[in-house]
Amino acid sequence: MTAPALAQGVAEGGTAAPARLVRWPMLVVACAAAFGSFKLAFASDELSERGLQAALLNWTTLPYILAGVIAWWRRPDSRFGPLMVGAGFAMFLSSLQWSSHGLPYTVGLAFDLLPAALLVHLLLAFPSGRLERTPERLLVVVGYSAAIGLQLAKMLLGGAETRNVLALGPGSGVGHTVEDVQLVTLSVVCLAGVVILAGRRRGSVRRLPPRIALFVDSFATGLVAVAVLLLAGAFEWPQFETIRRVAFAIIGVAPVAFLIGLLNEHLSRSTLGHLLVRLRADPAPGDLREALAEALRDQSLTVAYWLPEFGRWVDRQGRPVELPEPDSGRASTPIDRDGRRMAVLIHDASLADEPQLLDGVQAAAGIALENGRLHAELNARLEELRGSRRRMIEAGQLERQRLERDLHDGAQQRLIALSLELGLLEERLRADPEIKGRLDQARDEIALSLEELRAVARGIHPAVVSGHGLAVALESLTVMATVPVRLTVELDERMPERLEVAAYYVVSESLANIAKHAGATSATVDVARVDGQVVVEIVDNGVGGADTERGSGLRGLADRVEGLGGRLRIWTPRGGGTRVRAEMPCV
Amino acid sequence: MRVAIAEDSVLLREGVANLLGEAGFDVIAKCGNADELRLKVDSYEVDVAIVDIRLPPTHRDEGLVAALEIRARHPSVGVLVLSQYMELGLAMRLLAESAEGVGYLLKDRIGDVKEFVAAVQRVANGGSVVDPIIVSTLLARRRSDDPLASLTPREREVLELMATGSSNQGIADALVLSLRAVEKYVSSIFGKLGLPSTGSESRRVLAVLLFLRS
Repeated sequence: MTAPALAQGVAEGGTAAPARLVRWPMLVVACAAAFGSFKLAFASDELSERGLQAALLNWTTLPYILAGVIAWWRRPDSRFGPLMVGAGFAMFLSSLQWSSHGLPYTVGLAFDLLPAALLVHLLLAFPSGRLERTPERLLVVVGYSAAIGLQLAKMLLGGAETRNVLALGPGSGVGHTVEDVQLVTLSVVCLAGVVILAGRRRGSVRRLPPRIALFVDSFATGLVAVAVLLLAGAFEWPQFETIRRVAFAIIGVAPVAFLIGLLNEHLSRSTLGHLLVRLRADPAPGDLREALAEALRDQSLTVAYWLPEFGRWVDRQGRPVELPEPDSGRASTPIDRDGRRMAVLIHDASLADEPQLLDGVQAAAGIALENGRLHAELNARLEELRGSRRRMIEAGQLERQRLERDLHDGAQQRLIALSLELGLLEERLRADPEIKGRLDQARDEIALSLEELRAVARGIHPAVVSGHGLAVALESLTVMATVPVRLTVELDERMPERLEVAAYYVVSESLANIAKHAGATSATVDVARVDGQVVVEIVDNGVGGADTERGSGLRGLADRVEGLGGRLRIWTPRGGGTRVRAEMPCV
Repeated sequence: MRVAIAEDSVLLREGVANLLGEAGFDVIAKCGNADELRLKVDSYEVDVAIVDIRLPPTHRDEGLVAALEIRARHPSVGVLVLSQYMELGLAMRLLAESAEGVGYLLKDRIGDVKEFVAAVQRVANGGSVVDPIIVSTLLARRRSDDPLASLTPREREVLELMATGSSNQGIADALVLSLRAVEKYVSSIFGKLGLPSTGSESRRVLAVLLFLRS
């Protein structure tokens, strides 16, 4: 699915259509409500500091409605806007309790504590407008039950003033108890909401953009203030009125912060612009991931490319990549080009809340991603080639090993048995010197054949390397060399056989070259394991200037070493000796 | 003399058993693999075990491992290892702990019946045997400053026999010399090479080999 289609899919089931119709009427109703609340306040007999109270109320309601309407308009696919509008109007209703008439007063009273539950709901539903997880849903349900259910119970019991038309009788102690329980419960719900949010933020590897962080922080602070206010009410702290004003002031800040963030969203496009400039300067940046991670403010972001011929996702190096499971905290956004699957961005799940940003980045990075995909494909092919080269070397080695075994178990054993038979015959025919002489001769022939066979078998496969390790095999090799050789082997343990055999050939070929061409008087052979690599180095003090292409067998050695993912280097300055160095990864 | 043999080729196993039987040895075990040999050596009184260095199942180092294990568990049992290949490193590994009652021979030597029987006897009696090829390779080795240059040709001969594990009497017989003459040569060689003169004949094998290898 392409990204626009994705957005469309959400919009179809979303709330886009009614938003356009109700946008302006909603604002008109909000203004009317504001006007009404002031009017109610000033008509009230009981309210002190009427102007201040009305202003505080409007400070906690109007910004929510305004921010909600704008959010609804800018992000029709998110439910957060409508939720904010709803919360704002519900909070307005609580102002009805300023009325001197029984019915509106009762309605207002019923909504008195609803704002606390609404704020928890809003905070937990940010930014999609939905409650995604069960604990969050549960908390919100508890909040509403306490704010409305317990409120009605309290009113029935006459816990509040008797002006409310629901009161069945005069105020009682039970009503007060219900009120205390209600206030403490709501306070706990508010704090739990803040804790859940903090946990959610810690679980995300992606850093929140500052504008969103400002909103979330002010909202959480507001909720803490509300929690304190509720406790102040329950335990009848003398500073109640002051706490109330402070709490209201803070609650009003949150939507303002949200509004600022929303209006400044185009600022995030500047990072997009930065990305575009960067990609234009270098259409195939070495690390496209870095650029994208920066633009999307998600350092955990990775890019995977689709290789249709291999039927799998790979990274830039051509190594296979698994797409994240749903609900793993990671999400992937596919990027298609001309209807073909091309790449996928694997990112923190929270990035899905900013679809516009993702869309923009996808559009900007199209060509660079195509380049990255080609690069990944090349790497994957190279890797495949390396693998088949290594498999060929291993298969060849296995075959040689088998041949050597056949020689050992067959011809060599038979010849030795034959020699033994002749030896026994010779013992019996000791008396006849002529026969003894001829038998001796025959045994010498066999000994010679055995020696030749041994040389052949060793050339096919150095069995002692597989049997007893590189160190043992190199010992004979260096002792038999034509020049004095100092041998150092620093290996803690056996290495994979293909590496041991390759290292053996590097040494034996190099020593053979020293014997034939170098005119050296001494040499050193060093084998060591360094940083996960086996390093084999042969140095002589001969004439140097070796021909590395023909006759020396060095070309074949290089092929073998490179086939195992290593590299063979030769320094052979004229008159300066020769140094052969092979490095092979120990994997 | 009681012998146990471990050799996976039936042809050779039976051949060696016949040969030693005719030479008056008591062949009490003919084994096809290393585990069988271990079991036999653990269960019976054995004077010497003859072990092929390549044994099933992998034909890698099973034989050598079994030989070293028998050396450790039964110091009184002599171990003669037979190898298709001449590997100095393997000989040194085998002799490293002690050369007493240890032998390392090229398999080809089986054909030289008299020599082979003598080698088995020597190892069974706690002596040492090192294949002459190993010793001659070591002697032929190129050195930048050759300490062997100071030896007389006769001393070289004595050194070579010493390195293969020959006793003074053996050297005297081989070179047709008196025992006293051999002893004189030996102490002269040790003096020239700067080796500490060690009493036991098998201990000096290792000393000489280590000297030649270094």
